Amino acid sequence: MTPAIELCQLVYRVNGRTILQGIDMQVQPGEIVAIMGPSGCGKTTLLKCIAGLLQPTAGEVRIEGINIVPLSEREKMPLRLRLGIVFQYAALFDYLTVFENVAFGLVRHRRLARAELERIVRERLAWVGLEGVEHLYPSQLSGGMRKRVGLARALALDPHIVLFDEPTSGLDPVNAYQIDMLIRRLNQELGLTAVIVSHDVVSVFRTADRVLMMSEGQILLEGTPETIQHADHPQVQAFLRMASANHL
Amino acid sequence: MREELVWTDEGAPEQPSVIRAVLEFIGAIGVLLVATLRNLLLGRFEGRECLHQMAFIGATSVPIVALTSSFAGAVITLYSTSLLLRVGGSGFVGGALSVAMTREIAPILTGIMVTARCGSAIAAQLGTMKITEQIDALRALGVSPIQYLVVPRLLASLVMFPLLGVVANFAGILGGLAVASALGVPASIYFRSIQLFTEPFDLIGGLIKTVVFAVIVMMVSCQQGLGARGGAVGVGHATTRAVVLSMVLIFVANYFLADALFAKR
Repeated sequence: MTPAIELCQLVYRVNGRTILQGIDMQVQPGEIVAIMGPSGCGKTTLLKCIAGLLQPTAGEVRIEGINIVPLSEREKMPLRLRLGIVFQYAALFDYLTVFENVAFGLVRHRRLARAELERIVRERLAWVGLEGVEHLYPSQLSGGMRKRVGLARALALDPHIVLFDEPTSGLDPVNAYQIDMLIRRLNQELGLTAVIVSHDVVSVFRTADRVLMMSEGQILLEGTPETIQHADHPQVQAFLRMASANHL
Repeated sequence: MREELVWTDEGAPEQPSVIRAVLEFIGAIGVLLVATLRNLLLGRFEGRECLHQMAFIGATSVPIVALTSSFAGAVITLYSTSLLLRVGGSGFVGGALSVAMTREIAPILTGIMVTARCGSAIAAQLGTMKITEQIDALRALGVSPIQYLVVPRLLASLVMFPLLGVVANFAGILGGLAVASALGVPASIYFRSIQLFTEPFDLIGGLIKTVVFAVIVMMVSCQQGLGARGGAVGVGHATTRAVVLSMVLIFVANYFLADALFAKR
């Protein structure tokens, strides 16, 4: 089976600094993979390279078998529609309402009647547990609601893969739990492939099928949440201890 | 041509030398201009967004452009009338103002007022969108930031700047008329003087200048906004640079345009 995402020797350098040092990784269709590691280790850069938002210095990024690295911005556009991205701070368009945010991609890429457009937007908002907020602006929403609108917007174009950048950061435990359960439910019901970048250990262990531990632009360790928890790796254990202590 | 060079930070050193910064600015403006013109010529832009920008850049700028131009016309007339009346030259008052207004004052004031009002707002808006990842969100949704944000602003400016230039000319000449009348120059002589000394090319040349200024203001403001980095302070710097660079480039371009359009006439 063709992997949903495949990275081969991915390198990203900027201003003489190497952020990613030869990353190799595969994500199978329907899998939830979490990339965990301390702040500044290159998690978000890796996610943006997968999304084609950053141009890697070397290596390959294959999305459903297609290497996107040599493609131009225009050639990447249709491939990006296979991916949905939920940004760390949601990145909602602040001059548009919730409805217009969720409908943004649909209006531009699908020829839909107004009634059909409204149906899809309401359905996506219902999937993320938000109803009756269509007319509100992002500034009128809480942090958790914004993230859920960001997810609804990412799901509007029926992507095969959704990339999450710190989906639970800045959220209280209840909202964080709801977002985690939402990711799991969408994975089970829609078969979505998900890549989650996070340093929230609790959230990652209850959501992911597989965890990749990153440090200084490299993957240190890879395995199921259980194997990572019991791994005999000093850096990983130190990170997990500190992260758990902070969580408490 | 890689459009993404406009908004990515790749390869940009944290403290570039002045020469490198100037070359990077010229390069970034060149890349953005080529990409924008290509999308414009291929008809790849959002019509509705273009109308919004026409309203913002054009319609809502009319009062400030008219007000500043009328006072500019009034003060020029105040000085010129007092001098010309001493030598019996009341028949030159309207003509002197209209030539100055159509060739220089109206285009320059249009460029500067729209830079102050809209260029700064555009740089701040695009800069905020950049640092809050809204530009990345656009790209993630398969929408080109150049098609969605830059082309409509440039197209709206290309249409609205000359119209604002016409408004500035009318307002300036009416401001001059008010002062000239108060100082004893009859309106009939004032308008006769305008007819005698002003040629159609004075107006056309001035409006050609506004088109060039439209390109300068929009390209600089959009480039600075899309290139913003470093949080709220970065947006502030981008906005300041957009206004300062636009105004400097307007004055530089104005000299060369004046030389090309009017020097031999």
